[in-house]
Amino acid sequence: MLITCPYCGPRDVIEFTYQGDGNRERPQPASQNLDAWNAYVYDRLNPAGDHNEIWQHSGGCRSHLRVVRNTLTHEIRSTTFARGGHKSADNRAEGRS
Amino acid sequence: MSPRRAETGGRIDRLRTIRFTFDDAPYTGHAGDTLASALLANGVTLFGRSFKYHRPRGLLAAGVEEPNALVTVLRGEVREPNIAATMVEIYDGLVAVSQNRTPSLAWDIGAINQLGGKILSAGFYYKTFMGPVIGPMKGTRFWMFCEHFIRRAAGLGKAGTASDPSRYERMNAFCDVLVVGSGPAGLMAAKAAADQGARVILADLEAHFGGSANWSGETIDGMPAADWAQRAVKQLEGNDNVRLLPRTTVWGYYDGNTLAALERVTDHKEAPAKGEPRQRYWAIRAGTVVLATGSFERPLVFPGNDRPGVMLAHAAERYANEYGVLPGQRIALFTNNDSAYRSALALKKAGAAIVAIVDVRSDVSNEMRKLTSEAEAELLAGHAVIATEGGKALTGLKVQRFDFMSGALSGDERSIHADCLLMSGGWSPTIHLASQAGAKAEWDPARQAFLPPKPTQRWIGAGAFTGSFSTAEAIAEGRAAGLQAAGGAASPAPLTVVEAAPGDPDPAPIFEIKAKGKSFVDFQHDVTAEDVRLAHREGFVSVEHLKRYTTLGMATDQGKNSNVPGLAIMAEALGKPIPEVGTTRFRPPYTAVSIGSLAAERFGDLKPERLTPMHDWHIANGARMYSAGLWYRPMIYGLAGETVEQAYVREAKATRESAGIVDVSTLGKIAVQGPDAAEFLDRVYTNMFSTLAVGKARYGLMLREDGLAFDDGTTWRLGEQEFLMTTTTANAGKVMQHLEYFLDVIWPELKVSVTSVTDEWAGAAIGGPKARAILAACVTGTAVDNATLPFMGIVHGQIAGVPVMICRLSFSGEMAFEVYSGAGYGTHVWEALIEAGKPFDLVTYGLEALGTMRIEKGHVTGAEIDGRTTARDLHLDWMLSKKKPFIGSAMMDREGLVANDRLQLVGLIALDNRPLNGGGHIVEELDEANPHDSLGHITACCYSPALGKYIALALVKGGKARHGTRAFVSDPLRNRFGPIEIVSNHFYDPDGSRMHG
Amino acid sequence: MADHQLPERLSPLEPEYHPGSHGNFEHGVDVILSETRPGSILQLAAWPSEEKRLIEAIRKVTGLALPDGAGGGVSNGGRAAFGFAPGKFTVVDEAEGLAAAFAGAITPAIGTLTDLSHGRTAIRIAGPKAEWVMAKFFAIDFALPAFPLGAGRSTNHHDIFAQIQRSGADQFDIYVFRSFARSFWKALCHASEEVGYEVQ
Repeated sequence: MLITCPYCGPRDVIEFTYQGDGNRERPQPASQNLDAWNAYVYDRLNPAGDHNEIWQHSGGCRSHLRVVRNTLTHEIRSTTFARGGHKSADNRAEGRS
Repeated sequence: MSPRRAETGGRIDRLRTIRFTFDDAPYTGHAGDTLASALLANGVTLFGRSFKYHRPRGLLAAGVEEPNALVTVLRGEVREPNIAATMVEIYDGLVAVSQNRTPSLAWDIGAINQLGGKILSAGFYYKTFMGPVIGPMKGTRFWMFCEHFIRRAAGLGKAGTASDPSRYERMNAFCDVLVVGSGPAGLMAAKAAADQGARVILADLEAHFGGSANWSGETIDGMPAADWAQRAVKQLEGNDNVRLLPRTTVWGYYDGNTLAALERVTDHKEAPAKGEPRQRYWAIRAGTVVLATGSFERPLVFPGNDRPGVMLAHAAERYANEYGVLPGQRIALFTNNDSAYRSALALKKAGAAIVAIVDVRSDVSNEMRKLTSEAEAELLAGHAVIATEGGKALTGLKVQRFDFMSGALSGDERSIHADCLLMSGGWSPTIHLASQAGAKAEWDPARQAFLPPKPTQRWIGAGAFTGSFSTAEAIAEGRAAGLQAAGGAASPAPLTVVEAAPGDPDPAPIFEIKAKGKSFVDFQHDVTAEDVRLAHREGFVSVEHLKRYTTLGMATDQGKNSNVPGLAIMAEALGKPIPEVGTTRFRPPYTAVSIGSLAAERFGDLKPERLTPMHDWHIANGARMYSAGLWYRPMIYGLAGETVEQAYVREAKATRESAGIVDVSTLGKIAVQGPDAAEFLDRVYTNMFSTLAVGKARYGLMLREDGLAFDDGTTWRLGEQEFLMTTTTANAGKVMQHLEYFLDVIWPELKVSVTSVTDEWAGAAIGGPKARAILAACVTGTAVDNATLPFMGIVHGQIAGVPVMICRLSFSGEMAFEVYSGAGYGTHVWEALIEAGKPFDLVTYGLEALGTMRIEKGHVTGAEIDGRTTARDLHLDWMLSKKKPFIGSAMMDREGLVANDRLQLVGLIALDNRPLNGGGHIVEELDEANPHDSLGHITACCYSPALGKYIALALVKGGKARHGTRAFVSDPLRNRFGPIEIVSNHFYDPDGSRMHG
Repeated sequence: MADHQLPERLSPLEPEYHPGSHGNFEHGVDVILSETRPGSILQLAAWPSEEKRLIEAIRKVTGLALPDGAGGGVSNGGRAAFGFAPGKFTVVDEAEGLAAAFAGAITPAIGTLTDLSHGRTAIRIAGPKAEWVMAKFFAIDFALPAFPLGAGRSTNHHDIFAQIQRSGADQFDIYVFRSFARSFWKALCHASEEVGYEVQ
């Protein structure tokens, strides 16, 4: 499998480290909402199809990347730098409780 | 003269004679021969014994698909079994032996299995699992009884036990176009792509490029096809943008157009050149792949189709045309299609007599009739072969009238005298790589074959691979594929003219002649047509189950000959058309791949070694090293005659009495820099770092997001915006990734950069009552007294002219200092410290003494921060700041993590004065026969010179509440049981007066 | 401070560094291996949007004008610089003391400076088979069009992280962690035996 790092170009998957589900939404640091924290730490979608993932190009430029990967075909639909594109939907999570 | 070598013909070098042995008998061959062609030329017909029944077997094929003629090649003590003789190029001194025979190939005791054929039918292995009941043995016991004999009798070559001295290598390659297969289609594709300026790799598993052109006898562009191919190869060789890889099997097609190939670099040579690898594993990233992998001729399934002398038609043609070897003098052919007629004519031209062409079709075209008369052969249209005769070589065959609509045999049996029977059951495109690449193959009813699926990756097919079996089509498709792959436009230039024998590519849909006797489908695994039907009768209807139950296609040849006939027979039994039965997906590898090639340069060297700057000094000064992850660290500096325990006890004792020095360069060190560095550390650590003064260090603890303990270490504030974080040796990489993740993904607004500086610094920790005096004796540029260098203070100075940074902190519990210098000066500073320490009885100590002193102090390491413990479990709750959130703060107070009965850190003292073992369990009641109810386990243990006792750290239910109570260690694996006392983990100097001085 | 009388730094390759020709060299050596031992190896990191100012600072201090684009770099013999990650650059000087020269130029507003002069070991491979030998270790494309002169790449060989700069048409400088350097060097020599190599 090749992942195209936006900085380094296409590289073999062995240069990358999977760093978890890219759909996770981290609550605000001071949040005491355990449901939101629980969802962030443990709940995963595990879709059959396109999946948002975080990968680190640990054997290269070490950037974290947002990767949309099809879990059925391994096709990688997009790769972007994670920096700057992060979601912080803590307010929504707070609002749920 | 060799009995079967024709006087002329072939592409071998008759001037070069090569000597080799097979089963200890000496033979000769010529340069360009394979082991198969050379032995065949010498009149050898018997090449192997079959897998289950030990039937004599000869050559079936001439290429990679050969299922019968498997040999073991010996090089000194090293043996490589199960190589097809068709793929072994002979060289002077080659030693090959046959397989699966006792005591010899010609007289094999295992052949008695042929008499018990019914017992060894499909699913035999599985049936022995269940029964039958024989005397006192039933089910699995019967299996165990049988297993010994089965494993001896059934099988392939024996693997060797000598270690392989060969070198293997991995190569990474990139190209615009990878062409797999170098027949006319592949050569045209490579040339067309190369002419467009594309970077091209052309790989072929054979030694010589050209594929079928090397033996087809056709004329291309007005010259013999083989010459045309050689001309094309020459042109490619002259191109800088072309890499030619002969003897290279592309065996795997992976995601992202990444392909794996194995190049047999020196297997055909007497000896490799210096440094030359035996085999090279190529990892190829291709823009586009042209699959020009050709096709396999299929055997027909009829009784006795496995007798030596029965061969695939094209294989015989190849032996004659490429190697100048006639597989027989009186040759009969048996076919369901037109291609065999061309083979007949080729063999006639090479000097053999063609006694008959037996065709299952009654309606044979005039063109084929014409070829028959040119070959001076008798045509038996509407006939089938129903039996073969002979022992270790064919003597004749029997034919009968055959109705191909009904499959019925009728009329009188007729015997034909022949020493060779060639069969052709149609052709199967070699779609393995396309199948590996993704989609499912499609059945083509006209070709009676599975054709390649629609591409799911960037590949283009050409030639016989696509079901276009003629050379003219191969050339046209090859050129088009090459142009397309290189991004060029279709060429209007006229195509090369091919003169070839005529023929309809579509065979009659006949796979099997049902007559009395064993008809083999899978030659290598001895699976018969009857086995397939038996599997069906026993309820196996899915092709995947059929495959596993009968083991059809599961041998080392992976069913290259047998898949389609097997499916056809299964489909007939099911009463379904073949496409409804479906086919199995091909998986890598296409052919066997040596483990050595996958290990490549890692062969004999599992991991790189990570060495500290003082490594050579340690070795030169008697350290016994051991590996800690990738690092090598001194375990002890043993004196003559000392045990490990005696050495570390001496080292630890001396450190507490005078001073000791240890190499701590392996500690993870991360530069944390930037305007937000302090804020970042406040979020990462459980305790505060923004309040830390410049020039001071602080012990810090990190949690994971789930609230469990992650890592600990000291972090030094070197400047307002500059920190030096240290981590445990083992977690350095993980902590780095953790920090990078939060900076990149969670808090991109923080202006902080983190850099691994582990290797920048050499670290020496010097501790003990005389440590400060030693420093005072060698450090210049700064004082080291209590006022200048208080506990957790940092100073800069020089030792032996080298700038050093000294922090006063302690892991041993003694007054101690960590001295850091540039790694290139590490040994220089270390030696200066040793020299300065001589008057003070300074000792060097290793990890064992380091561990001993930390256990005495009750400090935690990775053994206690094991991913299951919390800060509270380790009595580090004093480090959990209540003034700020930090990673893990929200999750660390969940009810399961604060329960009273959690395993918590305690100390243990062995009351029987015997050593304890890591991993031993703690129990309230000792029950050696039936250990039960563990309270927890030991994480670290040692003999404590400070206490004069065997002690341990342990994680025990209830923790502190058990201080002062007694329990037992229960370690049945090592038979260690005995009384212990549970105490505080702070065994030694609990108030820290020694390190504070 | 004490620069004038610093002892010579110890090379991590020392016991495994054997000048001379090795391997299959009877028909000539196809690669030359050496440790270049630069005095200064720095890592510079710019905050997002400050990259241009950092590149300008590099030009001012070293005279090296970095080309635009990921992995862009330049090498002039004594000095070299290349990008190895977004906003991050390695700058090398054969002389010691480059960190001091940069101290005033990289302000906290621009980014950070990390001295890795001891922490990284610089190994040079040169010769007609340099690309061939490099391809044994690293899964990156070493062909000149894909890896232009001066450019830098971050990659790894199993556990060994490496920054590579193309410092000539058939020459590469490899920066590895010092602790891995000896292991990597041994592997590099082993892999070069096939083509014949000389250690300088």
